[in-house]
Amino acid sequence: MSQVQNTADNKTVSAEISPLRQQLKEFWFYFSENKGAVVGLFFFLFIVVIAVLADVIAPHSPIAQNREVGMIPPFWQEGGKIEYFFGTDILGRDLLSRLMHGARISLFAGCIVIVISLTFGVLLGLSAGYFRGIYEVIVMRVMDVILSIPSLLMALVLVAILGPGLRNAMIAISVTYLPHYVRLARASAVTESARDYVTSSKVAGAGTMRLMLITILPNCMAPLIVQASLSFSTAILDTAALGFLGMGAQAPAAEWGTMLADAREFILSAWWVVTLPGVAILLTVLAINLMGDGLRDALDPKMKRS
Amino acid sequence: MSLLEIRNLSVEFETAHGLFRAVDGVDLEIDQGEMVAIVGESGSGKSVSMLALMGLLPWTAKITADRMNFDGQDLLTISQKERRKIIGKDISMIFQEPMTSLNPCFTVGYQIMEVIREHLGGTKKELKKRAIELLGLVGIPSPETRLRAFPHQMSGGMNQRVMIAMMIACNPRVLIADEPTTALDVTIQAQILELLGELQKKQGMAMVLITHDMGVVAETAEVVNVQYAGQQVERQDVKGLFNAPRHPYTHALLNALPERATSKRLPSIPGVVPGLLDRPTGCLFNPRCKFATDKCRSDAPDLHSKVLCHYPLEDGMPTNNHPGVSVAEGNS
Amino acid sequence: MFRFILTKLGVLIPTFLGVTLIAFSFIRMLPGDPIELLAGERGVTPERHAELMANLGFDRPIWEQYFSFLWGILHGDLGVSFMSRQPVLEEFLTRFPATVELAGCAIIFAALIGLPAGIIAAVKRGSAFDHTLMGISLTGYSMPIFWWGLLLIILFSATLGWTPVSGRLSALFWIEQDTGFMLIDAFFSDEEGAFKSAVSHLILPTIVLGTIPLAIIARQTRSAMLEVLGEDYVRTARAKGLSSFRVIGIHALRNALITVVTVIGLQVGVLLAGAILTETIFSWPGIGKWMIDSIFRRDYFAVQGGIVLIASIVMMVNLFVDFMYGLINPRILHRR
Repeated sequence: MSQVQNTADNKTVSAEISPLRQQLKEFWFYFSENKGAVVGLFFFLFIVVIAVLADVIAPHSPIAQNREVGMIPPFWQEGGKIEYFFGTDILGRDLLSRLMHGARISLFAGCIVIVISLTFGVLLGLSAGYFRGIYEVIVMRVMDVILSIPSLLMALVLVAILGPGLRNAMIAISVTYLPHYVRLARASAVTESARDYVTSSKVAGAGTMRLMLITILPNCMAPLIVQASLSFSTAILDTAALGFLGMGAQAPAAEWGTMLADAREFILSAWWVVTLPGVAILLTVLAINLMGDGLRDALDPKMKRS
Repeated sequence: MSLLEIRNLSVEFETAHGLFRAVDGVDLEIDQGEMVAIVGESGSGKSVSMLALMGLLPWTAKITADRMNFDGQDLLTISQKERRKIIGKDISMIFQEPMTSLNPCFTVGYQIMEVIREHLGGTKKELKKRAIELLGLVGIPSPETRLRAFPHQMSGGMNQRVMIAMMIACNPRVLIADEPTTALDVTIQAQILELLGELQKKQGMAMVLITHDMGVVAETAEVVNVQYAGQQVERQDVKGLFNAPRHPYTHALLNALPERATSKRLPSIPGVVPGLLDRPTGCLFNPRCKFATDKCRSDAPDLHSKVLCHYPLEDGMPTNNHPGVSVAEGNS
Repeated sequence: MFRFILTKLGVLIPTFLGVTLIAFSFIRMLPGDPIELLAGERGVTPERHAELMANLGFDRPIWEQYFSFLWGILHGDLGVSFMSRQPVLEEFLTRFPATVELAGCAIIFAALIGLPAGIIAAVKRGSAFDHTLMGISLTGYSMPIFWWGLLLIILFSATLGWTPVSGRLSALFWIEQDTGFMLIDAFFSDEEGAFKSAVSHLILPTIVLGTIPLAIIARQTRSAMLEVLGEDYVRTARAKGLSSFRVIGIHALRNALITVVTVIGLQVGVLLAGAILTETIFSWPGIGKWMIDSIFRRDYFAVQGGIVLIASIVMMVNLFVDFMYGLINPRILHRR
């Protein structure tokens, strides 16, 4: 009996020492159980390092043209040169360097899209769930409208209004992701504001902003984080798709989708300019999705094994 | 030889923290027309032992036994296909939660007729007739219309009646009822128990009743198995058990019955059934036993004349030279 | 059930009005002079400009313009394409069967593989098959389908020469387009080999468009089955001595299908977005390619009409899925 009590006491004591560290430790325990997630995480970090250091480690300029060395195959093929590791494109630009700089554009685009859609989505959703009434109805109907138009078409139409380019593509994609965040944040806000702790801080005189952002928001973070990891990967895909359709990043930017669009005509003659940018997109997105799966396992208590 | 005989049944689960023994050396013997009750708190492995018999445990469970015989057939070595011919026909089981144990997507009639068709066959008309007959037998009013009802359209008590109808459809020889009334209202509980008792007598079934309710045991069973933390701690016929419990756990359980309370405050057993992480050494009941000695804390007891205790009780007092008899006397 | 649909309709009507509002404001939000944008006429005289403004209704108050736009939609008038001078609705309807054919084949392809794969993975949870399938489906889910299409063209069309690169039918054939569905038209035509040609043109686009839905269906089927397999009623089914096929294929699957059918239905949006890319790669003459072409040709009335029509289709399919959900879920169909 006393033994049982003892261990229970120990648990509460250690939890009191540093709840955050305890939480992180528990998070890592569940996250690292999923081997794919750990592999995804390390590959993702690898790409982040490349993206950050692209200026330093890329052997050539991503946009400087050199007609003398156009269409050189990767180094292991006949005619390949070791200084052009993955070969060159028609304008003699080094493919490896362009891929490295492409990582920078894609990750940047993914981050910006998440920041925009998460910020506005959470603000709209929390306020809708908190204030209710006609305001909520209007916000939710607008989100329904956005959802009823296929995301890529919506993005294309928005880019047509704003004009092609990476910046406008990012804004357009952010708008198409808004509804997911708004719905999540609103649902959490509705359930959370009915809880006792919200009532008690209301009684304690907390202001509206404080209630929404400091009291309610932290309690609905888990689904938002999972959604963010999901839309990070789709944002990279959609940015590339817009680039491929000529509505995203414009030449000569070394964006993976744009590179694929340029490479379409060489489908039969130069496999490397078609294959490699796609492989880069696929691996990056796959790594992020693997990580997202691990995140969901670690953050969703329903999935936790006892 | 008994109709159903289980000797030294153990069930182990592989968990993240190591092997967990949910059932540990359980015996069961039951004959045609007999009613055996298995009693114990939640977590004492009552359901798991019966699920093991039915072959309904997940594949992570490791089942061992010296003997597991039904009507001359060895259930341990039998193939899955052979077992399926017995399960649901000769041995069937009723579960605790009637609301979730019936499939929400199929009508009551479909689910009853399905089991008859599987084991006995018959034309659609015959099946339907039999299903109506069964629903009437378990006391469901206007069975013809109920046949087309979905489980969510009926109450918990009605669903449990349907469950019983489904499980006695093939005239089983052994019916296992796993806490059949726990999830129901008190008034319904008595009705269902009465129904089960009636059916058992009428059809001459052997019945195993799993319960944590000593009151239910007193009213229905003939033989009682008391289980604690996966172990069988005592086996007696119902009269002997209520008059002279031999294991301290049984003793404590009976003392916790309101009808038998002598003091103003209802006595309870302190603590809970040990789980995977807080398993004591020696006798598993020792942390909660008021007669526990150092021997109980170090050595696991053997089965002494169907009681798993170093010091079986007699007239509520430990025997076998228990060192602190006088102390215990002062306590109670 | 009736009330269930009524509530859905109550949400649908304002959403539809919202879509028309977006489509309406789209043209008016484009930077630049509407006449130059829409009529493609540059340097027009002031008289001609005023005449065109009046023709297109741009000189009326904005709310009047919107109501006449809405009025037109309700009467099937979505304006006239500036490129073809054809009514937008007609333009849309001639291309629509091509997209339906492609999207239909893609979703059938995805469901035929994804459903069984997900069921087996759930039943054999933790096995090598389960891990492999989950790996493949996550890869499929991460696939940039515009690149996937190019890759398949390189492999099957360019290198192996098994399938054609683009279009719906070989130029050798000329068949009457009665239904607009090439498979059906080719099947009933007199041309020898036309059907085979139509099928071979369909294969790659179907795979490309079906990849992401396939991944989603496999994953969702697996998780729905896993959840259902742990339910009490599945244990009851096994306690009845039923065969594994009945336990898994009837008792568990019937319940899992409630979620899976919804998931399949919700792929319409994904399919239409994917159709834009797939049809561009394979020069498939459907509405996806039409929308892209219209955007590039600045045929804004076509884009405007296309948005309304495509969104209406998505909403209608979603309504149908809701309806199906009610039909296959007895708890909604047969309330107490």
